Amino acid sequence: MAGIGFRLRRLIKSNNLSGLLQAYGFAGIISSGPWVLSIIGVLLIGIINTQDFFTPFFVAQFQISVTYLMAVSLILTSPLQLLLTRFIADKVYENLDDQILPNLNGAIFIVVAASVILAIFCLAFFFTGSIVYRVLMLMGLVILSTIWLVVIVLSGLKAYKVILLAFFLGYGITVLTAIELSVYQLEGLLAGFVLGHSVLLFLLLVIVFRAYPKKKLIAFDFLDLKQIFPSLAITGLLYNLAIWVDKFIFWFNHQTSTEIISPLRGSELYDLPIFLAYLSIIPGMAVFLLRIETDFAEQYKKFYDAINEGCSLEAIHQIYQDMIIAIRRAFLEIFKVQGITVIILLVVGDKLLELVGISPIYQVLLSINLVAVGVQVLLMAALNLLFYFDYRKEALLLCLIFVFSNIALTLLSQYLGPAFYGYGFAVSVLLTTLIGIVLVSTKLNHLIYETFMLR
Amino acid sequence: MNQQKYADITLLLEGTYPFIRGGVSSWVHQIIQGLPQYTFAIIFLGSKKEDYDEQKYILPDNVVHLECHYLWDPVALAKPKACKGNAEYTRVSEQIHDWFRNPQLNFNHDVLRDFLVSFGQEKGFSAEEFYYSEASWTQICSYYEKYNSQNSFIHYLWTIKAMHAPLFTIANVAHRFSLNTGTFHTISTGFGGVLGVLLHYIWKRPLILTEHGIYTKERKIDLQSIFIKEHRDLFSDPLHMGMQYQELLWIKFFESIGRLIYQASDPIVSLYEANRKRQVDDGACPERTQVIPNGISTENFSSVRMQRTKEIPLVVGLLGRVVPIKDIKTFIRSMKIIVKHIPKAEGWLIGPEDEDKAYVEECKALVHELELDDKVKFLGFRKIHEVLPQLGILVLTSISEAFPLVILEAYASGLPVVATDVGACREIIEGNNEEDRALGSAGMVVSIADPDATARAVIAILTDENRWYQAQKSGIQRIERYYTQSRMLDSYSNIYNQALITK
Repeated sequence: MAGIGFRLRRLIKSNNLSGLLQAYGFAGIISSGPWVLSIIGVLLIGIINTQDFFTPFFVAQFQISVTYLMAVSLILTSPLQLLLTRFIADKVYENLDDQILPNLNGAIFIVVAASVILAIFCLAFFFTGSIVYRVLMLMGLVILSTIWLVVIVLSGLKAYKVILLAFFLGYGITVLTAIELSVYQLEGLLAGFVLGHSVLLFLLLVIVFRAYPKKKLIAFDFLDLKQIFPSLAITGLLYNLAIWVDKFIFWFNHQTSTEIISPLRGSELYDLPIFLAYLSIIPGMAVFLLRIETDFAEQYKKFYDAINEGCSLEAIHQIYQDMIIAIRRAFLEIFKVQGITVIILLVVGDKLLELVGISPIYQVLLSINLVAVGVQVLLMAALNLLFYFDYRKEALLLCLIFVFSNIALTLLSQYLGPAFYGYGFAVSVLLTTLIGIVLVSTKLNHLIYETFMLR
Repeated sequence: MNQQKYADITLLLEGTYPFIRGGVSSWVHQIIQGLPQYTFAIIFLGSKKEDYDEQKYILPDNVVHLECHYLWDPVALAKPKACKGNAEYTRVSEQIHDWFRNPQLNFNHDVLRDFLVSFGQEKGFSAEEFYYSEASWTQICSYYEKYNSQNSFIHYLWTIKAMHAPLFTIANVAHRFSLNTGTFHTISTGFGGVLGVLLHYIWKRPLILTEHGIYTKERKIDLQSIFIKEHRDLFSDPLHMGMQYQELLWIKFFESIGRLIYQASDPIVSLYEANRKRQVDDGACPERTQVIPNGISTENFSSVRMQRTKEIPLVVGLLGRVVPIKDIKTFIRSMKIIVKHIPKAEGWLIGPEDEDKAYVEECKALVHELELDDKVKFLGFRKIHEVLPQLGILVLTSISEAFPLVILEAYASGLPVVATDVGACREIIEGNNEEDRALGSAGMVVSIADPDATARAVIAILTDENRWYQAQKSGIQRIERYYTQSRMLDSYSNIYNQALITK
């Protein structure tokens, strides 16, 4: 996200209010981009097809199919996500730009192969539904997985306007074709989804391939143990597992779920509130991007420059203090902005639900999820800092805590009954975030010592 | 050589015998060979293994053990891990460093000894503790704030880390050494000396120190030449100011370990009076110091003298390694002037050229540039007995020397000498005391890096037959009276006997 950071900083430095708001706006959309847009898209399709509080069953089938596609593609690519992010950052730092594309191709090759094999296996043996549906699911999984990889490489580019445009175009097509093809029911909606995402992937690939030099077609350096940090693969996997594991638990507990399209199960009560809640993190993500990727990143660079360029210890301490202030401000601002957002939504939540035509029975779970995903923004900030300072072991530990606490507490919440649904995830996020902040703070307290003596 | 369990004397040799030729190495060889009644062990400390070729000397039969260690090999360390560190070690280390800075301080030397014996040991002040602990971090920071607060911290830190690294290697060498030894004898301060100190404390056997040169001053020259090599383009390098203070840190470091070594050594031997005074200035206890000049066996040279032609050969010789410290370039420049006055004169550079190949190239380029190609010859290593009779005068342009044996060899072969005013040169050429001076001058002393003065001196002696013969006579008389090998060997034999009977 470094490239985006620079542009944002310029916007902020213009120092007038509209400039600042504009900057926050960009930041919010960019950082939560694919994630939020896809939720909006899927919900929109649902709303469009809803008449008089009646939503046809094939819409629910479509929504659950897409949700599974998202979950599986994210988890499937997760071992490569952080690994590739770091690999590319290192290559850019070493001025080896020409290694980026071949390795992206290598990663795509692996992910496509893995997702095709997985999809064929599952679709052939477990799935019901028409052949068209199964083929569309296969395509959807491959396309989504590839998109997540390309997005990683994209985030290093400054062409974020074009990227944003590509996303709008892709999701626009998804929604429009969904409307046109809704007569074909599930297959129609899914075809729209696949078409829209194909266009998106194509556009993103064009952007990436034009931005980086290409000397070789394909390379697998990102699997070379000497050039990468294998623990990042595990950390990435754990983080994505942690985010999805409570959903899977709800889906596969027969008391909390129904079969939507065999074998896919969904939890009507549990799913909608959490996806709605994720829409609320846009303000928090905007602050996160602005304060961590911009303000803090600048101080961070200054700090390491001061060390390497031979500043006195006093000067290094001074810059260290500035950096700590930037970090503190980032956390505080995320907390404030997301906090206010959550409070407003808690107050007007039921009215909003009513407005978009969603039953008010979701209100309680939505409230819990609003708090949970709000805290999750802080967790992302903490994890990000651990990656910045290369505390890979601590990041791994944190994700491990996240997965296991989420499993344990979600199971506990199911055991305790419907009144406790949602609390499992919420308490797990809260716990992990608190530990994360403590970890970051102790690590930062010893940063100078560890940098000089242990690195 | 069969490795045994006991040696009378273990010699600690840093970067010299038996891998590098030179004054100190010949001296070591002479001592071992001249005192066959003792058995010797040798611990060689080098920089990096690849810096040394095969052995340059055949070890005499009374050498029973040889081991080599390399100081710039990376220290074997556990993976970095945060630790608190031992407050007691920090406290003692602080005392020691204060003592380095201020030798007048009252200091408990038993504490020092215990500390040094535990240094680098897993149960003591381990290398990991030095490199990773918070305690040592705090200590380094506080010294930095106190003495270097405006300089580049990262360079300070790396210098501190780098200068302690060899000490840990040395500590390992000392603790692993398993040969029973009557006495340890280090032929320099510096790292060899530190090894001596540790062995002395561990084995509780006496440590003898012989200093040929001034270690700190030689390292200063090394540091400067490294500095110049690494920073050819001073204006484009923002760190060049930083280098000066790092250099100072190193010099302080060598001074400090020098103090440590003087503290532990008895006797402290130097080759000539000026050096003995310098040792006392640097912290050596005056009662322990003594002067034992180098000596050579003159008998071997009578035949050499017989080979001399009646006519004085117009050959100006420099015997020594082609390295910067010998300032070969000044010799070449002075040859330009000499050839102008004595067109038949030739300059011979006699000595190995394998130590600093880049410098050799620079010298050859200079010869070519000054159009001296057929006047200045690089002869490489030659047998001294064959080459000396062919010379008309010996020149030494070194910017640093201790006690150049080559001057004595020149005397013994009947050759006058022009040398720079470094080390013992003036004492050997003009005489040390009244009686000595009465023998007359055996050549001339000139200042360093002065091609004009060097050329003038050479011309004055080479073109004046009376003066030449007078100098030859003074040289022969002087060496026979003061600088014979038997005199030197007797002195060391006494020292060794003394040390070996110490309980």
